[in-house]
Amino acid sequence: MATAARKIVPALAHAELSASSVRDRLRHADDSAVVSAFLNGEERAFSELVERYQTRLLNFIYRTIGDREKAEDLVQEVFIRVYRHLHRFDRSKKFSTWVYTIASNLAKNELRNRSRNPLVLFQSITKNWQDEERPLEFEDAGNRPDDLFHKRDIREKVEEAVGQLPEHHRNVFVLRELEGKSYEEIAEITHTNLGTVKSRLNRARNSFAEIIGPWLG
Amino acid sequence: MMRCSEFRDLHCAFVDDTLAGVELVRMQGHISECDECALLDTRVRRSLMVVRNLTPIEPSADFARRLEVRLRQCRTEQERPIGASFRTVATFGAVASIVMLSYVAESLRTTGARPQDIILPPVVAVASAPSRTHARFADTLMTAPAPAIVASVSAGMPFWPAALLTEQTPLQLASYTGGR
Repeated sequence: MATAARKIVPALAHAELSASSVRDRLRHADDSAVVSAFLNGEERAFSELVERYQTRLLNFIYRTIGDREKAEDLVQEVFIRVYRHLHRFDRSKKFSTWVYTIASNLAKNELRNRSRNPLVLFQSITKNWQDEERPLEFEDAGNRPDDLFHKRDIREKVEEAVGQLPEHHRNVFVLRELEGKSYEEIAEITHTNLGTVKSRLNRARNSFAEIIGPWLG
Repeated sequence: MMRCSEFRDLHCAFVDDTLAGVELVRMQGHISECDECALLDTRVRRSLMVVRNLTPIEPSADFARRLEVRLRQCRTEQERPIGASFRTVATFGAVASIVMLSYVAESLRTTGARPQDIILPPVVAVASAPSRTHARFADTLMTAPAPAIVASVSAGMPFWPAALLTEQTPLQLASYTGGR
């Protein structure tokens, strides 16, 4: 019995070591290697993709639609679609462009649905107002209260200014300034050409500077 | 001398630092000469610095759990269709086969049996003169059948209706056309 137990423990330890080495290997691999691993049957590879992209996609969708709860739902929807259709993804293309395209389309659909339903738009706006009344005591205790207020104030102003941009300008602005995408990637994600991307970004930057300028002093 | 419109057109690339050397120098030169464009450049750069340093928001605490639930449903759906559809098709096929076989068996059973004879009471026929006008056309249908037909009826033979019609047809046509 003790001998059997001694045999099992090293086996488990070996399995754990293998699992952690697989996770390490995945963590250091690029997107295409992780995608290939998943398509070859390694389920943990999908978790690696989720970990890499969940925060970025959440910030992209949230800045585009302005509703945090809905943004999380849409990010989940992005991952479900990726899971279902990854076998059809053209591996010669960039995975991040593909996943951002899905996210961009979902965000656009959400905005389109809202514009058709004024009640939904009103509810999302009032919900965001309630979120802003979150007490400061839940913020990082390491910062001074006036710093926290200033940071939160700036963040709110920036988010408000981004929200005031026209939809097609906002999309390009967020992809460039917050997600760091290249012009070519933005053109692919938004199904437009390079000239249109540059023109929209130029206008978005000018508009944004005009809106936020008074708050920056 | 650069115009403000040209400066604004190239401003995006100027901020991104992707301009060629010559154009870069021209843009810097214009800023030193035009207060309005210099102000635009400063405002844009400051605002971009703020937005690029925005703290990213993190997913909520239960995001991973909710996603895992949805992925599990997804996996279940992906595994089910192949087996489920096969079983559905097989079940449907079996039921259809049974129904078909039952119908065929029933058909064979009924065609094999002798048809039952229809026994009718004897008909008393009354002969009447064929009508010369079209209005009396309907009356010709009630002329008496031939004695042979009557005999066949009493004997219980089944082909008497067709025979009756055959018997009647020449009389009807004759009465209709012979009305002139």
